[in-house]
Amino acid sequence: MSQQTAVIRPAVRPTTAMRVRRINEVAAQIFPAVIIAVLVLLIIITAQQSGVAVAGEQLLNGLTIGGVYALIAVGYTMVYGIIELINFAHGDVFTLSAFYSVLVVRYSSALGFDLNSLAVNHGVGGFVLAMAIVLPITMLLAGLTGVTIERVAYRRLRNAPKLAPLITAVGVSFFLEGLMQARAGSANVPTGMRDWVRGDAFTIGGVTVTWKDIFVVGSAVFAMVLLQTFVRRTRLGKAMRATAQERDASLLSGININRTIAATFFIGSAMAAVGGVVYSIKEGEITWNLGFQFGIIAFTSAVLGGIGNIVGAGLGGFLIGLFAVFGSQLIGAQWANSIIFIMLIIVLTFRPVGLLGQRLPDRA
Amino acid sequence: MPDGVATPPLEERPLAPEEVGVDLPFTAAEAAAEEGQAVFWIFVVAGLVFLVAGWLLPWFVELTSNGVGFSPQDAVSSAPTGIGTVLVYVIGVAMVANIAGAISDVLAVHWHIGRPWRMERTRAVLALAGAISAFSIWVLIGVYREEDLFGHLSAFASADGAIWMTLTGMLVLALAHGFREQVARHPDQFFAGVFLLFGALVPVIFGNQQATEVLTWAAGAAAVYTLLALGLNVVVGFAGLLDLGYAAFFAIGAYTAGSMASPRHGLHIPFWVIVFVAVAVAALFGAVLGAPTLRLRGDYLAIVTLGFGEIIPNAAQNNLFSQTGGPNGITGIRHPDIFGFNFGQNPRYYYWSLLFVIVLVILAFSNLQRSRLGRAWVAIREDEIAAAATGINTVSTKLLAFAIGASVSGLAGSFYGAQLGVVTPEDFEFAVSVTALTTVVLGGLGSNTGAALGGILVSFIIFWVLPHLQEWMTTVGQTTGITSLGTINYSTYTYIVYGLILISIMLLRPGGLLPSKARKVELQAGHESESLAAVQGVV
Repeated sequence: MSQQTAVIRPAVRPTTAMRVRRINEVAAQIFPAVIIAVLVLLIIITAQQSGVAVAGEQLLNGLTIGGVYALIAVGYTMVYGIIELINFAHGDVFTLSAFYSVLVVRYSSALGFDLNSLAVNHGVGGFVLAMAIVLPITMLLAGLTGVTIERVAYRRLRNAPKLAPLITAVGVSFFLEGLMQARAGSANVPTGMRDWVRGDAFTIGGVTVTWKDIFVVGSAVFAMVLLQTFVRRTRLGKAMRATAQERDASLLSGININRTIAATFFIGSAMAAVGGVVYSIKEGEITWNLGFQFGIIAFTSAVLGGIGNIVGAGLGGFLIGLFAVFGSQLIGAQWANSIIFIMLIIVLTFRPVGLLGQRLPDRA
Repeated sequence: MPDGVATPPLEERPLAPEEVGVDLPFTAAEAAAEEGQAVFWIFVVAGLVFLVAGWLLPWFVELTSNGVGFSPQDAVSSAPTGIGTVLVYVIGVAMVANIAGAISDVLAVHWHIGRPWRMERTRAVLALAGAISAFSIWVLIGVYREEDLFGHLSAFASADGAIWMTLTGMLVLALAHGFREQVARHPDQFFAGVFLLFGALVPVIFGNQQATEVLTWAAGAAAVYTLLALGLNVVVGFAGLLDLGYAAFFAIGAYTAGSMASPRHGLHIPFWVIVFVAVAVAALFGAVLGAPTLRLRGDYLAIVTLGFGEIIPNAAQNNLFSQTGGPNGITGIRHPDIFGFNFGQNPRYYYWSLLFVIVLVILAFSNLQRSRLGRAWVAIREDEIAAAATGINTVSTKLLAFAIGASVSGLAGSFYGAQLGVVTPEDFEFAVSVTALTTVVLGGLGSNTGAALGGILVSFIIFWVLPHLQEWMTTVGQTTGITSLGTINYSTYTYIVYGLILISIMLLRPGGLLPSKARKVELQAGHESESLAAVQGVV
């Protein structure tokens, strides 16, 4: 009898490796909840240490900077999803588009139609009109830049060894940074758009929410929702998803791969341009090498959210912004970078696919 | 069938690739042989570059420093009265023969025009004769100060450098032609030998004895980057683990070494002990930081290593545990001494030590690559699951790649700190990791010689071409009469130029200067099919 039991259920005790694997699986499943819990805990500690007002203030800071990260991260995640390339130049496309918006405003006053005074002096209507002019032009310019970069530096290398386009991406990044440094100098450049959005919206629990906060977070969320709808509902969006999933099969089913990839670069860069315009209004000054740091953090956001996933990138951006701000508040601002990356390493150790990602095939 | 018809049966004759009509998959041995051929071609090209540069250098110097220079052209164009002119003619004939031979070979092999001009022994002998002539000129001018050698000419301000380059070019060509098979069989060893022999002479020939010597400083920096490239090549090239934070290990090595020889901690351990400690600490950190990445694949791995590359300089910047000195870093690091002789500030001793270390590392990695561990790395790189199924312990193999790769950067870091006397967090930013990766990819992944070549090339661009662009363009502007070339302020465009160089090299040679054939075949087989690529219009 005992013999038979042994055949049916071999007396295998779980080995250490099996236990570790099981723990990992559980950790991966509950991880998103843990992240939210840690974030809430951080907010509560901050509120206890420095008061609710400071915590609220920092919450707003985290959300606004996170909105900018999210807008850049979308470009990274889309490009990675479709051609598996870490587009190092994307952060610089963001900076470049901020410069484009400044140029658009300057040229408008040179043409006798001053967008700046329109936005500042004519109330909400004037601001909306000014944005309706600046934003599409900047997005178009940035999109064309992105398409040009893809055409010149990446397309020829699509079937080359995988690291080759990575190096051209670094080259493009250097090129763009050099271009901006040569044209605009090494100092901070005031955008003159700081006053486009101003004034306090309302006060809640001792925390003053400015219109600028609402504008930044609102634009980020609105742009992401629009993008997600586009990718889900349109033919081009469907083509992009198909190409990302299986390029050869999409080609066989009649999708123009080159055009789809170019469109991806256009849209990703246009989203970075939204980020650039929002940043110009939010901070009021830009620097030639801004995109480097923003690019790394935004890519981190994309990975955190699960690379290839647009909603994940948005979520990752906001999370990174919040963690950086609250971590800096508690430990010290000089540790901001370490906090971001330690968090990333912990996330990837316990949930190697990011928060919303799916298992990736090995492409190393 | 009459026995006069001498068509051998197909099976008895090995088919040339063009007869088969398709690219047969390489075996590892064939791939290695092809790589060896590539090294042969690198030697030929390098030799020719040195020759032409040596030939043109005095002429160039004459233009830049207003007429003090002696060039072979001067000797030939002056009345052929001296014995020196004969030697110059010999050099010229050898040079022209080799250039013509190389061009005809390239045309035949790569474009199937004409037949290859295979007189390799003849060309080797010619090159040797040229080298002996160049050496004789050097002895006559440099040692005996024979001034009437070329008739009436007597100014030879920069003869040393020019003759060194001519001599190097000739000897490299003679070596390549004379030992073609051996070079193809042991490319790394030959490269290391040539590298040591001619690299060691660079500061003697071109430099002066001062501590402020720019060229030797640049050469030392190039040597550090070459060492970094060799170490990173183990991680990225051999094991296929994309590491974007390699500067972290460089920083750990430099800080470890610096801490043990600076007044900050009151330690005065001899440098040659410190080197080993730094190597060990860096290797340990390589394994420790590699551990969380074991489950990750592809670009997730890249981003985690990038994270470490950001965290470590950040921690050093913030004076972690009050040990790293914050933004000022560790200062007052003692210069190494050997048998009571202190290296001091003079860059050439560091350069020579580094050169020696690089050669050792190349030889060691060349053996490692062909060892059981090296083959395990390749297996993991190509297919981790299959590798695990064949019994390779993927965990220890990957950790060893990280540790061995990191140990070399610890070596580089200890020399770096010892030479500068100070290490600061800014020396280890992301840009350093990216530059190291660039050198490896540019040189050719998975090849020691390729990595070293990439390191030399990128350092040459960063430390020599970009700083001298202004000067050179001014000269070119003066020579060609387009003076506006010299009036541009090139320092503004450094980034642009560097970016453009990176893009164009990668577009021209996507596999790097010395692409690993085995890796290329494997990558393309795993990728999409060629016919599909053709339909897409992607070439």
